[in-house]
Amino acid sequence: MNITRRNLLATSAAGIVVASLPAGASVAFAQKANDTITFAVAARSSNSLNPQEVGLSGADNWAVYQIFDRLVNLPAGQWAKEPQDYLPGLAESWTVSEDARTWTYKLRKGVKFHKEYGELTSDDVVFSFRRHIDPKTVTNSKTFYTNIDSVEAPDAATVVFMLKSPDPLFNTSCHSHVSASILCKKAFEEKGADFSKDPIGSGAYQFESLDSSQGMLLTAFPQYFDGPANTEKVRIRYISDTTARTLAFASGDIDMIEGVRSPGWMDTMRGQSSETIFDATAPGSLNSLAINLTRGPLKDVRVRKAIRYAIDATAIAGAFGGIAAPMIGVVASQFPGAVRAEDLPEDLRYAYDPEKATALLAEAGFAGGLTIPCYVSQREDYASIMLMIQEQLRAVNINLDLKMIDHATFHSDNRLDKNTLALWSSSYSPVPTQIISDQLARSFEVKSDGTGGTNFAHYGTAIPGIDDMLNTTLAEPDFDKRMALVQGMEKQILADLPLLGIVTLSYVVARNPRVDIGFKVESGPAYWPLRHAKIVQA
Amino acid sequence: MPSLIASKLLDAIPTLWLVLTLVFVALRILPGDPALVALGDFATPEQLALFREQAGLDAPLWQQYFAFLWDVVTFDFGNSLITKESVAGVIGYNLPFTVALAIGATAIGVIIGVPFGVLAAVRKNKAPDQGMRVFSLVGYAIPDFYLGAVLLIVFALNLKLFPINGGGEGFWGQLYHLALPAITLAVLKIAFLGRLTRTALLEVLSKDYVRTAKAKGAPPKTVIYKHALRNALLPIVTGLGLSLLATLSGAVAVELVFNRPGLGSTLIKAIAERDYTLIQGAVVVFALMVVVVNLLVDVLYTIIDPRLGS
Repeated sequence: MNITRRNLLATSAAGIVVASLPAGASVAFAQKANDTITFAVAARSSNSLNPQEVGLSGADNWAVYQIFDRLVNLPAGQWAKEPQDYLPGLAESWTVSEDARTWTYKLRKGVKFHKEYGELTSDDVVFSFRRHIDPKTVTNSKTFYTNIDSVEAPDAATVVFMLKSPDPLFNTSCHSHVSASILCKKAFEEKGADFSKDPIGSGAYQFESLDSSQGMLLTAFPQYFDGPANTEKVRIRYISDTTARTLAFASGDIDMIEGVRSPGWMDTMRGQSSETIFDATAPGSLNSLAINLTRGPLKDVRVRKAIRYAIDATAIAGAFGGIAAPMIGVVASQFPGAVRAEDLPEDLRYAYDPEKATALLAEAGFAGGLTIPCYVSQREDYASIMLMIQEQLRAVNINLDLKMIDHATFHSDNRLDKNTLALWSSSYSPVPTQIISDQLARSFEVKSDGTGGTNFAHYGTAIPGIDDMLNTTLAEPDFDKRMALVQGMEKQILADLPLLGIVTLSYVVARNPRVDIGFKVESGPAYWPLRHAKIVQA
Repeated sequence: MPSLIASKLLDAIPTLWLVLTLVFVALRILPGDPALVALGDFATPEQLALFREQAGLDAPLWQQYFAFLWDVVTFDFGNSLITKESVAGVIGYNLPFTVALAIGATAIGVIIGVPFGVLAAVRKNKAPDQGMRVFSLVGYAIPDFYLGAVLLIVFALNLKLFPINGGGEGFWGQLYHLALPAITLAVLKIAFLGRLTRTALLEVLSKDYVRTAKAKGAPPKTVIYKHALRNALLPIVTGLGLSLLATLSGAVAVELVFNRPGLGSTLIKAIAERDYTLIQGAVVVFALMVVVVNLLVDVLYTIIDPRLGS
């Protein structure tokens, strides 16, 4: 493993600085103006504010989520786990055909776009989604829209989506994502490329200004269809450095900061002030370990089982101080279709058992141990988890010859089929077929020339069968029956072990108690609405 | 003087060409795919191909290379692959912050470091000299990002004498935001320039003409500042130039810790995102700054020692 002097010093410095705060400073909840909430995100700057633009960062999603609306809304602070959990957004109602292939949305009347750009009509919705389904237009997250065959507007207040295959979770698989935000067609065509820096949406906040020094200023949109936001202004500051962000929060300059998803950060922050509030989503990201089924000893299921038994996911989750949870299958336990340990046969539960791991290795002919070369991203969440896995596997005589490389190289090398054990942090809405499709289906199999996808395990080819199960599941229009089929796939995956669910890791925001966001964050995407937020302490 | 400047600028052309070529080649060798960064982990091969086509990344390398050289010659660096912003605009916004930081830190380094070095040389092996050694050791040893964080905690967070982060607005606001980052970087400069001044001055103080000046009864201040220091300036100016260049390119950590806009941190982000156009533009500007600083040092040489200009 390559640990550079600079990395070591930087990590130590951040730790020492944060740890030294109690002696020098407690978190200052300073007197401030009541009309502005300041939120520091972990980014150097904004890449774009066009929800469909490629390169949109997690930090940009926060702003975009406030500026734009979607057809349907999630319950505040939660995922909609079942179809009936969705709330009206720009659509006041919707219906779905029996075969779950035709979804019809009735738009809310009188919804205004910002800055006098007129009223929302079905033309805006059709325009937004046709850009996603047009293969010649580059937009982000296109895979969420590949099942849409057509989108039509029979009248100004109705939009009809025709799907290629049934989807009882269409609101989740398509409309819950920030890229499904509805653009203002007139503004988009008028502004062209400038739309990315001066966006027009219909959300509770409108864009005011952006500069590298002061960040972004959003102001409440007085004509918002659901009433103006509680707080007049939201300022988004860009502070990528962990230490700088933490210090800014401690000084009271910033009301909310994006947290750090590495072991110890939460505990240290709690030590600074018991008043600090932490908003954390569960599951957050899914951290899974893809086992390359074409590589040497890993072809043997006994070796893969040994790895599974040797990994103590509960201990890994514990190191993150309450923002992580161990995974059982590959679908997060909070999602529909996930298997529960008590529903599994004993041999598929894989309770931590290093002795059993050692015995399985001996049975597979590796009594003397084995070495597995692999690499991982330097990003703190990846590196932390993989280093813990390395230590746990060392205990059963499996030596991970682990290299740490930069994040962009990590992803590009994975797509060239260079990795053997690929830890991957991915975010999904609660559509359980998505992770199976993206990471285990044959059509997404990775290829050494880079033209393949994200099935780094070669599952479906090295061990056939999952694609038939997946196709059957995706053809099922009934939600409950579909979830039962997902559980069947989960059990098959647990038997074959091409992909190990390790831990889920929450997205965390530390919040000054002077701000009340108006709901409790339990699950949902890595961003949430700020229109209910208000300052409750001067 | 004009002929010296013209000659130095002509000399710089092959250097610049070499730097540009190296940057172009290094970026294409560097693993990591800008299309994958822009489109995200789940991008399909078709989407990646479309992005590369639209960004011109699928053109033959020689075409990309000549297009890049032409862009440099015409000062048109294009748009960022990730944010689509004009590269010239991004550089134009961030460069003044980096230049201000480098000049501010260097000015503090000169104002404190040079007199400190003079004092250490004049009082060799006495308390000021010992103090200089200790300070130099500490100054060299503390990483700037750590020192910056400590100064932030003490002077910004606890004493509230300085702002916690940002670049500031307006002249006085920017000056106020510049102070702590400049002091952070200046610590190393004080150590470096102090030691350099001490060494250079000690060497000159042992020369015959200094002994002669003393023997003629010249006051100590005249001997030190008029006769000795002026003759010791050449290595100090060389060190100053190197120090300024190191700050221009090495202010990244301080920019990050203080969350200041700046070219260094912009470049780091661009490298992480494999934003080829922005990286190329930023490196061209860094290369030009090296040329300009070296030119200034050469001009200063001729002012300090007119014989070098003849």
